[in-house]
Amino acid sequence: MSKETFEEALSQLEDVVAKLEDESVGLEDALKLFERGVKLAKRCRTQLESVEKRVEQLLAEAGDGEAGETAPFEPEES
Amino acid sequence: MSGRIWGVGELIGELNAQLAGAFGDVWLRGELSGVKVAGSGHRYFQIKDAGGMLSCTLWAARADRLRFKLTDGLAVLVRGKVNVYAQRGSLQLDVLELVPEGVGELQLAFEQLKAKLAAEGLFAPERKRTLPALPQRLGLVTSSSGAAVRDVLKVLSRHDHLQVLLVPVRVQGRGAEGEVARAVRWLGRSGRVDVVLVVRGGGSLEDLWAFNEEVVARAIAACEVPVISGVGHEVDFTIADFVADVRAATPTQAAEMVVARLEDQERRIDRADEVLRHVLARRLDRTRLRLRGAEGARGLASLPARLGELDQRLRRLEALPQRLRALVVARHRRLESTTGALLRWPVRFGAPRRREVVTARLAVAVERLRFVARRRRMQLDGLGRALAALSPTAILERGYSITTREGVEAPLRDAAAVTAGERLVTRLARGELRSLVLGRDVATQGSLFEQPGDGERGTGDKEET
Repeated sequence: MSKETFEEALSQLEDVVAKLEDESVGLEDALKLFERGVKLAKRCRTQLESVEKRVEQLLAEAGDGEAGETAPFEPEES
Repeated sequence: MSGRIWGVGELIGELNAQLAGAFGDVWLRGELSGVKVAGSGHRYFQIKDAGGMLSCTLWAARADRLRFKLTDGLAVLVRGKVNVYAQRGSLQLDVLELVPEGVGELQLAFEQLKAKLAAEGLFAPERKRTLPALPQRLGLVTSSSGAAVRDVLKVLSRHDHLQVLLVPVRVQGRGAEGEVARAVRWLGRSGRVDVVLVVRGGGSLEDLWAFNEEVVARAIAACEVPVISGVGHEVDFTIADFVADVRAATPTQAAEMVVARLEDQERRIDRADEVLRHVLARRLDRTRLRLRGAEGARGLASLPARLGELDQRLRRLEALPQRLRALVVARHRRLESTTGALLRWPVRFGAPRRREVVTARLAVAVERLRFVARRRRMQLDGLGRALAALSPTAILERGYSITTREGVEAPLRDAAAVTAGERLVTRLARGELRSLVLGRDVATQGSLFEQPGDGERGTGDKEET
């Protein structure tokens, strides 16, 4: 899922919530909205947690267009 | 020396020697005009004031070290050697040093570049990109040692789902600007990051200079992903800050922005999630309550029992005034006989006084009785109204009906009590219906008016007649 669809899913989720808060929505529809909302929330969360914490530094003098090698980075103590 | 004939070059050579001896290096104050850059990189211009004008030459090697641009009208101080340029025979100043007057050299350079890039529209608000929805992969351009990188990583460590790719660069000294610019370009093109942070800790204007260089400004402006700058302290503004998509006051703040963005998105999801569950739970609760109220239909089921009870109470109450009246009459009689006796009581026993006392007490008692009777009557009226609401007529008005067999008073309660072909009379709120029984279904669910004692009603013995 790309970033755009994350933002999309998140605003869809907020739409669903707004609709669900509207009392005039029938129970049947409310249940459908709820199911959809839960799915969207899960998708957003999965996307947000898809990246693992990591700190690296670029090793070689990588020129434009070169891939560049990386290694884990630990800042020196002051 | 009179009568001596000079060669031209010889004279100029002598003049130059004399000039060098007489003046050496001179400092001149004036304004630049007619600034030209030759293909060789040498700069030619005039320095002038109200009293005169002198041609100047600034060789390329020296010109390249200037941080600001030479422009017409710029007030300057120049140091140089006056000499005659032999090929043209003109007096000129060979410039060794040139500084702006009134403002610092760096300040001037800063203002000049700022004006230039602003004119190009590089700082325009509409060029600014917002941070990505999920800035999770960060490119970090800064020195791998020093406070800035530590500050940034410390803040970023607050979030569990963040990747950092550091491109170590020198952030001060000659050539630093080239390294910074190249790192920004490389990160933008690498496709590995969502956002680039260009940061450096505090320092003097000289220390922060790399971030005021045009090459850095251009790299940031052209970067494929949004750039956050965080250079120096709150008060320091660099050209990089103006051109970046987002300016943070410090390296720490630049990192905070990224983390805040992620935390903000998390909160949005959490809130939506919470409302989702809360709203639905509330709706389900309400529906459940309504269902429970309907399923028992308790109000309806207990109606006959309540009617019977009310009827009895009403009858008792209706009888009450009569009983009261009887009671009052009886008391009167007893009192009358007592007072009669009292009247006949010998005077010496103080009968008249006693009689007065008894009469007064009697009046109080009668008054009290009347009061009780009135209250009862009122209660009775209230009950009467309540009963009227529950009366068969009122029930009929609501759409129920009473069915009896033709010629029979008692209402029908059980389908089993009729056989096919019998005639029935159904009382509605208005009018009656006469009908013929075609068939019956004795297994139908218990009636709403189910009462104990109706045990003989058939269950399950469905018959068709």
